[in-house]
Amino acid sequence: MTRALVLYAHPCADSYAAALRDAVTETLAARGWEVDLCDLYAEGFDPVLGDAERRGYHDTATNTAPVQRHVDRLRAATALIFVHPVWNFGFPAILKGYTDRVFLPGVTFRLEDGRVRPAMTHIRRLASVTTYGASRMRAILAGDPPRRVMGRAFWHACRPDRFRYLALYDMNRADAAQRAKFVAHVKRQMEQF
Amino acid sequence: MRALVVYCHPSPHSFTAAVRDRVLARLVSAGAEVRLHDLYGEGFDPVLTRVAWEGYLDPAQAAPVTREVADLRWCDTLIFVYPTWWYGLPAMLKGWLDRVMLPGVAFLMPDARNRTIRPGLTHITRLGVFTTCGASRWLTWVVGAPGKRTLTRGAGFLLRPRHRRVFAAHYLMDSSTVESRAAHLARVEAKMDRLIGRVA
Repeated sequence: MTRALVLYAHPCADSYAAALRDAVTETLAARGWEVDLCDLYAEGFDPVLGDAERRGYHDTATNTAPVQRHVDRLRAATALIFVHPVWNFGFPAILKGYTDRVFLPGVTFRLEDGRVRPAMTHIRRLASVTTYGASRMRAILAGDPPRRVMGRAFWHACRPDRFRYLALYDMNRADAAQRAKFVAHVKRQMEQF
Repeated sequence: MRALVVYCHPSPHSFTAAVRDRVLARLVSAGAEVRLHDLYGEGFDPVLTRVAWEGYLDPAQAAPVTREVADLRWCDTLIFVYPTWWYGLPAMLKGWLDRVMLPGVAFLMPDARNRTIRPGLTHITRLGVFTTCGASRWLTWVVGAPGKRTLTRGAGFLLRPRHRRVFAAHYLMDSSTVESRAAHLARVEAKMDRLIGRVA
């Protein structure tokens, strides 16, 4: 059975991001997938990689200990879905910190002779569901950093069979109809994912 | 010249700390006024909370980051010194942007006359970005240097158009040598001289 880890980052329970999260989790559960929702704000995740963890970062025998529960949940997953807003052309800090602390050597990648090899290959489906304040054009001009990290860095760590990057740009001026349309789009994509 | 240096590294003995010291020394010898934000040292909280999010559009709600906002308004030169993690900014530094780059401060929201976001930091005329990368220059280029872009283009858009900008990275940090590190520190100094320019 497909087991999906949904990484969700938004501080407000009644946000549009929460509606997208529900669209993802409900659609996948209806397909019979096992869904593990990791709500980083609700779980009070600490995103700060400290001095001791940084020093132990490359020791694959012990580096998972401070975040063992999160590493176990990630390793149990065969699908990984990020649901979050884009802030300042990047992930919210709480989500960036998840990748700083949990996407460890030995968990998501291996260093062999200085080359980065994928180690998250149990993830066969990888997706991002996100919103931008910026227009698509402005995001392109800025180089769209979150799309690049997902589509290149994390994609390479997983080498997934399926990859989706679902984004609603220019969020501040999107009306109710556009928002509803994007939720429907996300549901459709998750049905086929 | 008024420089705000935002420094982010968990270890006081890191190479990034050495880069920070070169940057600061260059600024001091140019006669600049300097304010330093040491995010780890100060225990900055990078998480934008529910309360902050709900008050996000109201500049009066900036109370918990009053000092950061005041320094951002005060400076004409903005410098970031940090390690690159997962091709991006450490969460600590990303959270500084999330919490301090507020509407009404860093940018102006769209209104009836303006369809889109406008820059709010046009008093800042110099941007310096200094980092280290575990990845090679080639791999960083393939991934698209997201961290660099978040700062030079994302934040850079909010500054004075055609501001002076410098960037320096030490790549393959995990296999760095005494020589490569010394060469990088010299590069940082040269970039700082270019950033500072001729000071009256």
